[in-house]
Amino acid sequence: MVGERSTPLVLSRHVLMLGVVLIVLAPVYWMLMIGLKTESEFSQIPPTIWPQEFTLEWFEAVLGKRGFGEQIMNSVIIAAIATSIAITVGSLAAYGLSRFQLPWGLNYHILFFILTVRMFPQTVTVVPLFIFFTQIGLIDTHLGMGLVHSMLELPLAVWMMLGFFRDIPRDLEEAAMVDGDHWLGAFRKVIVPLVRPGLAATSILILIASWNEFLFSLILTRTEAQTLPIAVANQVTQFDILYGRMMAASAISIIPVLIFTLLVQRNLIRGLTLGGVSGA
Amino acid sequence: MLNVLRRRSGGDVRAIAKTPWWETHLRFFFIAPSMVLLAVMAVFPAIMSWRMAFSRVNFKLGELEIEPIGFANFTKAFSDNLIIGSTVRTAVWVLVVVSAEIVVGLFIAFLMSKLHSRARMLFTAALIIPLVLPPVSVGAGWLVMMDVNFGVLNYLLSLVGIEPLLWLADDRTALASIMLIDIWQASMFVFILMYAGILSLPQDPYEAAAIDGASPWQIFRDVTIPLLRPTFVVVLLLRTLDAARIADRMLAMTRGGPGSSTETVTLSIYKYAFIHFNFGYASALSVMFQVVLIILATFYIRRILRT
Repeated sequence: MVGERSTPLVLSRHVLMLGVVLIVLAPVYWMLMIGLKTESEFSQIPPTIWPQEFTLEWFEAVLGKRGFGEQIMNSVIIAAIATSIAITVGSLAAYGLSRFQLPWGLNYHILFFILTVRMFPQTVTVVPLFIFFTQIGLIDTHLGMGLVHSMLELPLAVWMMLGFFRDIPRDLEEAAMVDGDHWLGAFRKVIVPLVRPGLAATSILILIASWNEFLFSLILTRTEAQTLPIAVANQVTQFDILYGRMMAASAISIIPVLIFTLLVQRNLIRGLTLGGVSGA
Repeated sequence: MLNVLRRRSGGDVRAIAKTPWWETHLRFFFIAPSMVLLAVMAVFPAIMSWRMAFSRVNFKLGELEIEPIGFANFTKAFSDNLIIGSTVRTAVWVLVVVSAEIVVGLFIAFLMSKLHSRARMLFTAALIIPLVLPPVSVGAGWLVMMDVNFGVLNYLLSLVGIEPLLWLADDRTALASIMLIDIWQASMFVFILMYAGILSLPQDPYEAAAIDGASPWQIFRDVTIPLLRPTFVVVLLLRTLDAARIADRMLAMTRGGPGSSTETVTLSIYKYAFIHFNFGYASALSVMFQVVLIILATFYIRRILRT
């Protein structure tokens, strides 16, 4: 659309976009900085853009707080369980749907059904799940929460992996089978290596979504499996709000996501199209 | 005979006769785990919700009692001012945030498509950041920025000579404040989708329009916008349904207050279920909400299929 020349018009567009990016990122920067400022500094007017005196007291206070380390671990364990289940089960379905034709137009109906589940109101599933989980002892457990998150992110896994499998030409598998491989051998030698970047990207998106999830975790956990977003929210509603600690807790939950995002940048757009991450 | 995969799925009798039964039905085994997971964790609970919607539910110490009471829960909802209020508020929320996000997202997407390719990659990577952050954590961050006394937002307003706002503490500005945060985060989602849509536009209509001597505005109105319609509908579908189900931001920042000024449908149902422990009534509200969402989704999906 645009030649790679630098006319004043093209230059002004770049400057305008730079402005947009700075405005969009400013709140993130501000949040991370408050956690590093002393109390007297972050409550002073006018505020300082760059902390004049760095302090780690808020991070130390938060990390030293009883239970906070456990909440981080809970989030990690639950995200790991959810990701392993959703990616395994979801990739299987996606591979099946991309390679086999089911009777009665089931391929289409199944994909449509999976999409519908993503649009259920949260309360339709969470109230009965609360009852079942209480009855069978899955409430407030890592396994229970992992299962719930894997259900929530399964549509993302199936739809994303479907795209990756469809991108692999069938000729490649068939060629491997001509060479005398069983389909399983062909799958292992041809499909798996080709789809690995897709698997990695999808996994990280599920990981982020599980890490960010709030409503189900709030209802289905109490103490043993309480996740990080609940810990952050608890800091907010205590009305002796300690801003520094709150920001340190937020920062601790934000930083891993920032790192993951940089890792998957390229395939992120594809996953976001399915809206599994926004949490909104 | 080389195409083993197609043979398995096709129905070549000789091939099927030689393979074990589980391998002939292999194609079903691939999707079975997904179906089981969704059935147990989503469909079965949803059916349970429909049953509880017509019942008085008593759940104490792990003992569940369900007593059918017909439509009582449903009739109650129509005279429940709290729910009527939440419904109107949620509708306003959806209308405002989705339109604002489309305007902002579309603007950024167009601007982005006119940049040099290196700059595009860098800027896109930067703009994705707000989108992936935990809504609760960014909510906490905005809470600090919206502090009445030393929040940076009131400081910025004072620089341009505007009186300080109470933001989340005032029932007139609380919902708008949370809207601002949602627009900040989710506009980037709209941007990503719109940007992908713009990049995949065919070039031929543009060349034809250029030959006809169309002005940039005419090209935008008569070529770009119609071509982007499918992307538009997908964005509307995903954003409308996600915006309609909003609750986590309010739960983390205001718990629905001050008063009920930031209470949404999902939040009200949550309160009926887990603060008042009225599962029957909460389920009736849930399933009615589900019907509304299904109608909305079908409306959009029909349009997607038509285009």
